[in-house]
Amino acid sequence: MRERLQDARFWALLAALALTCLALALPRVTLTRDVYDVLAVVDITGSMNTRDMALSGQPVSRIDAAKAALERLLADLPCQSRLGLGIFTERRSFLLFNPIEVCENFAPLETAIQELDWRMAWEGDSMVAKGFYHAITIAEDLKADLVFVTDGHEAPPLPGGGTMLPEFEGTPGKVKGILLGVGGRDKVPLPKFDDEGHEVGTYTADEVPQENRTGAPPPDAHLRPGYHPKWAPFGTDPPSGDEHLTSVRSAYLDTLAASVGFGHVDLVDAPDLLGAISEHARTRPVEVAVDIRPIPAALALALLVGLYAVPFFTARLRMPARRSTASAPPLGAAALRP
Amino acid sequence: MTDFALTTPSVLLLLPLALLPLVVSAQRPQSYPSIDDLEIDPLSVALDWALRIAGAIAIAALILGIGGLHRLGRTIEKTGEGAHMVLLIDRSSSMDNTFAGRAPEGGEESKSAAARRLLKDFILRRDHDLLGVAAFSTSPMHVLPMTDHKGAVVAAIDAMDRSGLAFTNVGRGLALALDMQEADTSPAARVILLVSDGAAVIDRKVQETLRAAFARRPINLYWLFLRTEGTPGISTVPGPGEEDTPQAMPERHLDKFFKSLGTSYRAFEAENPEAVAEAIAEISKLERSPITYHERIPHDDLKARCFAVALAALLVLLAARLAEVRLVPATEET
Repeated sequence: MRERLQDARFWALLAALALTCLALALPRVTLTRDVYDVLAVVDITGSMNTRDMALSGQPVSRIDAAKAALERLLADLPCQSRLGLGIFTERRSFLLFNPIEVCENFAPLETAIQELDWRMAWEGDSMVAKGFYHAITIAEDLKADLVFVTDGHEAPPLPGGGTMLPEFEGTPGKVKGILLGVGGRDKVPLPKFDDEGHEVGTYTADEVPQENRTGAPPPDAHLRPGYHPKWAPFGTDPPSGDEHLTSVRSAYLDTLAASVGFGHVDLVDAPDLLGAISEHARTRPVEVAVDIRPIPAALALALLVGLYAVPFFTARLRMPARRSTASAPPLGAAALRP
Repeated sequence: MTDFALTTPSVLLLLPLALLPLVVSAQRPQSYPSIDDLEIDPLSVALDWALRIAGAIAIAALILGIGGLHRLGRTIEKTGEGAHMVLLIDRSSSMDNTFAGRAPEGGEESKSAAARRLLKDFILRRDHDLLGVAAFSTSPMHVLPMTDHKGAVVAAIDAMDRSGLAFTNVGRGLALALDMQEADTSPAARVILLVSDGAAVIDRKVQETLRAAFARRPINLYWLFLRTEGTPGISTVPGPGEEDTPQAMPERHLDKFFKSLGTSYRAFEAENPEAVAEAIAEISKLERSPITYHERIPHDDLKARCFAVALAALLVLLAARLAEVRLVPATEET
């Protein structure tokens, strides 16, 4: 018995056994992890059909790029996060469904994202800021944060020479989130569709409103030709501009995001969407059960492997000196013979 | 047998370690003057191999346990009663009013809130249905594909009493619901449940498309009409001198159009939440065709079983170790 107590192998085996017992007995440990509740609202207005984005080398429309980005986000969100979906067109956002858990409902969520289509849109207008502010009120009501996906193309342009944001009625900072800009950096023509939904060329400069002449004129209006404070507050020249061309309006989106304390990233820069969300959105701590049984099991495995591997090496080292060692193993068993 | 899986498949790289006991014995090597005169006896050989195999099993079982061996979650087909149903929800702004036609106040329930509560109750009781959700107002909107995830459907119904839009484009909404039904090829009973509080004129062209689509395969159409008190209903007949046109009486004409489709159709006119509940109970009773549905069997964690096997093998090894007898006095302790 005494010898046995001095035998390191015996102790190693006993320890491995005890660790395996521990692995069997250990309960799950609950850890806290941060998850997100996100409402994604996608701009589906006409300008989102512009094909100036790329997906694996192929040119795709902004809306397709936005859908791909949301699908990736869906896959990246940690389990127990919730994702809701809405669309934006005209001047308001429309909630398709409340946020639902992302892992359990992965398949329906993925299809719902894929089915987003500009044909769901009901008006040609695209009052991005109004729709964005409206989406914030929906998100606030749902206690979720917001990812608003848009190219920032206001149609008609904002009054005051495109500088006057509509009034935000909520409390800035109450809902957090990001504005995700979609679209290329270069200005390209806006595609045009007929009533049946067929693409019929692109818009020309005189087919879209170039300036919003409602409300107060821009502060530099008095420099315009023919300006008169009462009779021609916007000058006498017909409005000119490049509103028929479109690109991601990064500078505008920056201003818009800053007005409500949101973050802003552009999809062309291939941003880490979940990273941007974790930086700007609120987290919700959840308890997750973590299985720690593999830890003692791994220690038991290490001991057991060591038990077998050590004699393997020592036997080799000692082989020339102690010839009998190599032939010894069967003897251990032979000794058991009655 | 193909449904076993590992959470961390890379542990398989360690699996060759299980061969180690087959090569080396963990029993204590002992010096013995000579084994030349010992016969090879089968029991000793068998015991030796049994111990080696026990070692191999212990190592392999621990590795598989650490790697998180589990049986994959599966879906099995079962037969029950139910249908494949598309909820087609009117999201026009008049749904925000009460049945009495005013904005809800005090304890009153708006029409969409009442419909929402009862619909949720309905779908949660329909265990085996596959449900899709579409919405329409000015344009049709695909909300959720056919799914058996009731949580997702409830979330879509929850969204329905949120700020609707102005118009009621019921024709295009129906076309979308039919598309969703056609995308699904199973032989289950088809249902489209239209929930609206009004009707609208369906464009001639759209009418023809709908007629053709309904003719292609049998679809049970239910119209849950949440009628506002005092407004024309489905069965209102125009009085003398009143125009009997779709524009003047859209409800009556939409009902006529549905009846002319030759499909199984029923309209439920509900003027209060109780009538909605009755209508829903009736639909629930009617839709009892056999259906194959899928039941998910959650994945089965086999870690504990791996560790138990390892424990058993280790006990064998320990027993052998305790039975060890020193043959000759130790001269050198290993």
